[in-house]
Amino acid sequence: MKNNNTVNQIDIEKFLINYFTSHHCEVIQNEPGILSVQLTIEMDKALMNRPFYWHYIEATGNKGEPKKITFILDPEKSAEKGEWIHFGSPRLQQINNHLGANAKFIHLFEELNVDKNTILHPWLLTNFCIIYEGKQKKEELFSIGLNLINGTFMFDMMQELEAASLSPTISDRCYTISPLIKINSGFLRIENYIHHYILEQDHTWASDSLQLLQEEIAMIHHFYENNDEENKQEELEKELEDIHARLQPKITYKVINGGLLYLQETFPKK
Amino acid sequence: MSKIIIQKDDQFLEQLNDAIAKNNLTDWELFKLHYQMKEATAARDFNELQVLSYLPHVTFLDHQIKTAKTVMQEMNGRAILADEVGLGKTIEAGLILKEYMIRGLVKNALLLVPASLVNQWITELHDKFYIPAASYRKNYNWDDHPIFVTSIDLAKREPHRENILNLNFDMVIIDEAHKLKNHKTLNYSFARSLKKKYCLLLTATPIQNRIIELFNLVSILKPGYLGNYETFTEKFGNKKTENLQDTYLNKLIQKVMVRNRRKDTLLKDVERNVHSVWINFSAEEQKVYNELNDFLNSFSSLSKITFLRELCSSREACYLSLQNSKNERLKQASEDIMNKIAMLPHHIKAKKLVELIKQFGDEKVIVFTEYRASQYYLQWYLQQHNITSVAFRGGLKRGRKDWIRQLFKDNAQVFLATEAGGEGINLQFCNYIINYDLPWNPMRLEQRIGRIHRYGQENDIHVYNFAIKNTLEEHIMNLLYDKIDVFERVIGKLDKILATLQISSLEDEFMHIMENSNSIGEMKIKMDNFVSVVHELGDQHNEEQQHG
Repeated sequence: MKNNNTVNQIDIEKFLINYFTSHHCEVIQNEPGILSVQLTIEMDKALMNRPFYWHYIEATGNKGEPKKITFILDPEKSAEKGEWIHFGSPRLQQINNHLGANAKFIHLFEELNVDKNTILHPWLLTNFCIIYEGKQKKEELFSIGLNLINGTFMFDMMQELEAASLSPTISDRCYTISPLIKINSGFLRIENYIHHYILEQDHTWASDSLQLLQEEIAMIHHFYENNDEENKQEELEKELEDIHARLQPKITYKVINGGLLYLQETFPKK
Repeated sequence: MSKIIIQKDDQFLEQLNDAIAKNNLTDWELFKLHYQMKEATAARDFNELQVLSYLPHVTFLDHQIKTAKTVMQEMNGRAILADEVGLGKTIEAGLILKEYMIRGLVKNALLLVPASLVNQWITELHDKFYIPAASYRKNYNWDDHPIFVTSIDLAKREPHRENILNLNFDMVIIDEAHKLKNHKTLNYSFARSLKKKYCLLLTATPIQNRIIELFNLVSILKPGYLGNYETFTEKFGNKKTENLQDTYLNKLIQKVMVRNRRKDTLLKDVERNVHSVWINFSAEEQKVYNELNDFLNSFSSLSKITFLRELCSSREACYLSLQNSKNERLKQASEDIMNKIAMLPHHIKAKKLVELIKQFGDEKVIVFTEYRASQYYLQWYLQQHNITSVAFRGGLKRGRKDWIRQLFKDNAQVFLATEAGGEGINLQFCNYIINYDLPWNPMRLEQRIGRIHRYGQENDIHVYNFAIKNTLEEHIMNLLYDKIDVFERVIGKLDKILATLQISSLEDEFMHIMENSNSIGEMKIKMDNFVSVVHELGDQHNEEQQHG
């Protein structure tokens, strides 16, 4: 049994081109399935794990030469010189971590080419992950936008924004109006929504987990019933902690990334 | 619902404000890529394995994938992995660890493995699973290496012991876990004291001896699952186990243990050819053997059996052992027979060994002997016949074992191992095993063969069992390896059968029979009886399985 294609689909080639281009690296593709990337100094430092080289270069006042990486996307070609990058490869994991640490917050304006004054509404965008964790674990993603003027909720916000151009600077003749709903209370509204959503779900998984938890707790007590050893209490407590760590049902929701957007009043109309 | 802990994100707002204030922001493209990656990696289903799409460079076998699923879905991450040797327990453990890591359920893990296997585990985790594990050392930094591999012997020593017991592990994996069967040992209490969320115990021989050992293993995973010590021993301990109870216990065990058998897996495609090689002592050797036999009549049957077995292996093994005997009476009386042993020509088995190896051409061969003295002798003897060999034994330092394995792979034809070398080293690039001496326990023979008949073996394998006619070896060969028919019928059930019979180990039982028999005829009858009981029980188990 090889690759399971029903989950984890991502176009790695497109992903890499986007990622490196956004980081101002030159991407060269001479043949299908192979990508060469000339790293910038910043990206070399982020990905190549050679702090001594850069330390030395900077100490001696030299310029330094960032590396070039060749990625093999098609495993048939992996004999050729380059590193095979695929969904589980450490490099993609590294890039993912880099994104996780650096691509979290935005503050952007819709890019518009307009000849009359145009109002931009502030939106709070939050991409949430809900984690359901009991004897097993699953995740659910939500992309929610909230209009901070009129309180409109927008679901699948990322999808709505698919075609939008967003820029860190505001376009000519555009101006923003200050939020009527404060960011903090906007966030609270989104949280409330998620909280209610969670309450409405089927939580059989959690009751199963709780039941198992109770069973295992009873087992532990039974195990130590006739035990007179001196460290009995300590052991018992350790075991109970282990069981709770494994079986106590827990729901966590956290923001993957988010920020403030200023969008045309007419959004989401195209 | 009220009993579910709900935790919200109380940092986001502050972080966002801070990022805006400091202009610590990202652009739209990267923001989208980040979310896209999260969409691709989110585990949206409780049950579906994520791990396979992460490891396209490895082909996993169906039973390995199924095991990973069972352990996660039905056993909730605490299980005994008890596949027969060579079916890839390491792979299964790796799959489970990786799946939990992908799901973010495991961030740190401790792997306790035999010292000689530390490097092998690290390499395997790295190459097959992209898991960066490190070997535990002094001044270890937990933060840099959250996944680490070490031996239990090192871990249980201070100051490591205290450091390790203070950590909360998301997962603990213990290889060769049958060594933890005795609850009175330090190793056992150490394993029980570890703070752990998930736990995998790997062993090919979950119950080798007494049923209480299985209780002890399960109590590391799920204390109380089989009751407490008193209730368990009362029910199963010393009484003869009734079939009904046995079946009930069996059902319980199956909920915490996965045991794949070679015959149920794809691996049966590799054919295992077992050849018995009958050898006759030269007249001279047979004479000395008989004399030794007579000479030892006035000593304990235990020492008699020991010395005779040794003479069947090499002059050296027997001579040295007589010389080092602690029994003064024996030492004084044995001078004459020792001289005769010393005068013997090269051992008939050694000659046979050279002959056989030459027939194989350039094929690599593993040769197992029970005795260090025979190992030395054979290494010298092979060298006289221009056959290159490496000697492998237990107790070698970590690293040195890896090195010898590599030497064998690259430069030598023969891997000469004593029993202690049988465990834990993978030699699937080799297809030939010669059992120069037979162990008296088929389980151990199975472990030897498992070195090559395992995951990764692509060719048919050949096993040659040496036995000398008209000696003890003849009985052992006939009884254990022909009649019991271990390879096909009973090996998987032997644990259970022995437990039912309240027999602690086969070796002891055979020794017992030999010790308490006055003639060879009597011994044969007793052995035959024993074998037929084993077969009967084996058939009963088969029927139960078919009906159940």
